Amino acid sequence: MAEIVQILILGLALGGVIALMGSGLSLVFGVMRIVNLAHPSLIIGGAYITYWGFKSLGIDPIVMLPVAAAIMAAIGVLLYRLVFQREAKSAKYSEMTVLLTFALAMMVEGLLGGLFTNTQRVTSPDYATAAFFIGDVFIPKGQLYAGIVSLTIIAGLSLFLKYSRLGYAIRATTQNREAAELLGVNVQFISVLAFAIGLALAGAAGSLVSFVFSFFPAKHWEWIAMLMSVVVLGGMGSILGTVVGALILSVVAAFVGTWIGATWSTLTFFLALFIILLVRPQGLFGEKPEMA
Amino acid sequence: MAVTLQDSSASAVIEARRAHNEKLSRKADQTRATWFPLTLLVLLAALPLLQFVGNYNYVLHLVLFTASYVAMASGWNILGGFAGYVSLGHAVFFGVGGYFSGMILARYGISTLVTAPLAGLVAAALGYAVGMVTLKVRGPSFIISSIALLMIARILFDNWHFIGGANGLTLPPNDLSVQWAKVPYYYAMLAIAAFTVWSAYKIKHSKFGLGLRALSKDEIKAESAGIDTRFYKVTAFALSAFFVGMAGAVWGEYLTYLRPNIFLLILISANMVLMCILGGKGTIAGPVIGAILIVALNELFVATMGASEINILGTGLVMAIGLIFFPLGLVGTLARSGKLPRVLNWD
Repeated sequence: MAEIVQILILGLALGGVIALMGSGLSLVFGVMRIVNLAHPSLIIGGAYITYWGFKSLGIDPIVMLPVAAAIMAAIGVLLYRLVFQREAKSAKYSEMTVLLTFALAMMVEGLLGGLFTNTQRVTSPDYATAAFFIGDVFIPKGQLYAGIVSLTIIAGLSLFLKYSRLGYAIRATTQNREAAELLGVNVQFISVLAFAIGLALAGAAGSLVSFVFSFFPAKHWEWIAMLMSVVVLGGMGSILGTVVGALILSVVAAFVGTWIGATWSTLTFFLALFIILLVRPQGLFGEKPEMA
Repeated sequence: MAVTLQDSSASAVIEARRAHNEKLSRKADQTRATWFPLTLLVLLAALPLLQFVGNYNYVLHLVLFTASYVAMASGWNILGGFAGYVSLGHAVFFGVGGYFSGMILARYGISTLVTAPLAGLVAAALGYAVGMVTLKVRGPSFIISSIALLMIARILFDNWHFIGGANGLTLPPNDLSVQWAKVPYYYAMLAIAAFTVWSAYKIKHSKFGLGLRALSKDEIKAESAGIDTRFYKVTAFALSAFFVGMAGAVWGEYLTYLRPNIFLLILISANMVLMCILGGKGTIAGPVIGAILIVALNELFVATMGASEINILGTGLVMAIGLIFFPLGLVGTLARSGKLPRVLNWD
């Protein structure tokens, strides 16, 4: 029994972080129909910014989080203006943007490899290796803090989307681009905003990832399919779906990892992606069979 | 009366259309420079004669490397270019072909040059099975599922002890002298590349190829026009896997070792996509030109800067620039503006 609770807690804490990693991806897809394959590489970019702040200035990773998010948001505005805006009229828009973001992911990987070399890195604040004990169950502080910060950010994002005027506009654009434009929403501005928020979420996730996982520039290939499976399970474009998907899959992966073997826990995500695409391509909370 | 009139006018229309089509195809035959690829092939086939006068192993290696990518990119083109399904997981078939033939070589000592077609068939069977599953979704979902396929294959190959796991397999080198050791693989790869390009041409000009192009434009319309789209695209997937698998088989023995982190790389898939996009998706000459360009560019990067990070950065940069400014590729862009030189018109 204690073992099951233990696995559940570890799975949920990781699931929180993975939810934050996936939420930006989901938001960007919802508003702009861009499947951003570069998202995980930008998370690693955020992790390296945090790593740099931690190693050379001694700043705590969680304190570095807003900095990484701000830098990534700025990069997002730049990227959108330079690259994605001009693709909006392309006939094969969604396919084009997938290939473009793939190219972008390779560029980010190469750049990070050139700047920071390809060795495995991890930031090591005190709490990353400490743990609480409740009875027999141990709770690693690093993962717990990361999970709590992630879920707080996602809650903030949901409140923003639900109750602010900009949030209304973003949700309206997600539901129907043309109708939103007719009603006076500046779709162009909303797209830039959503892309910047999506990348800011990547930067924030990077800060948390930096002390939860070890990372190196090419690591993002492992994450892209993992995040995709989470986002696709929840339904692309739905933040709530992403959170639910992340929690479900990471708990399943934690059980698989403990009972069958650590190498197979990542396989859970990839197989899940395959199965979801087949059985229910629109995911749990999605309404858009047009993706299929 | 009316009926006979309709009948005769209908047959007259069909006659006229047939005559027109024949005229068009005659004209295409006249403008097509078939002599150019054939001369190129003869010249490349004569290239190993250089070994009599000196050591040109590097030249042979470069041509062999390019030929392997010509075969892979042209194979990828059947699915990605003709049918319009972009796959980023084709490195799986490269690895499966390499491992299948490599295992036979390691266990029974039969050269991969003999078993390469068999490896292609195994890759095609896998492609058929995977296609049955993943080709139900299209667009971005298909691309993502192809990446997932590569990730699954990588984990399985890394952990499958029968085929050496992450350490891979070491294959026996052949007992030719250094001067001639590359030559058998050189000819094998050249033959595979030529066969692939020829097959791609035949496929494009068959009824099957016409169906693929139709379904790449609009799948629902193609379906209602009587094309069995599911069978067409799954077969296209299997065919494209076949050629990639053959190239993988010969490449494995040429390297003399097989390792998941050499064969099951997303960079290899990306290169196939990149070559087709740069050269021109859906054209015959496109993947060939793209392969030559990318290999040359790669060599340049490695020779001048030497780091693999720069290589990845450069590949990504070239891909992005190509996508943004020349979405039709070199051959496609030139053909659209009517400036395609005749030697590159292989369609």
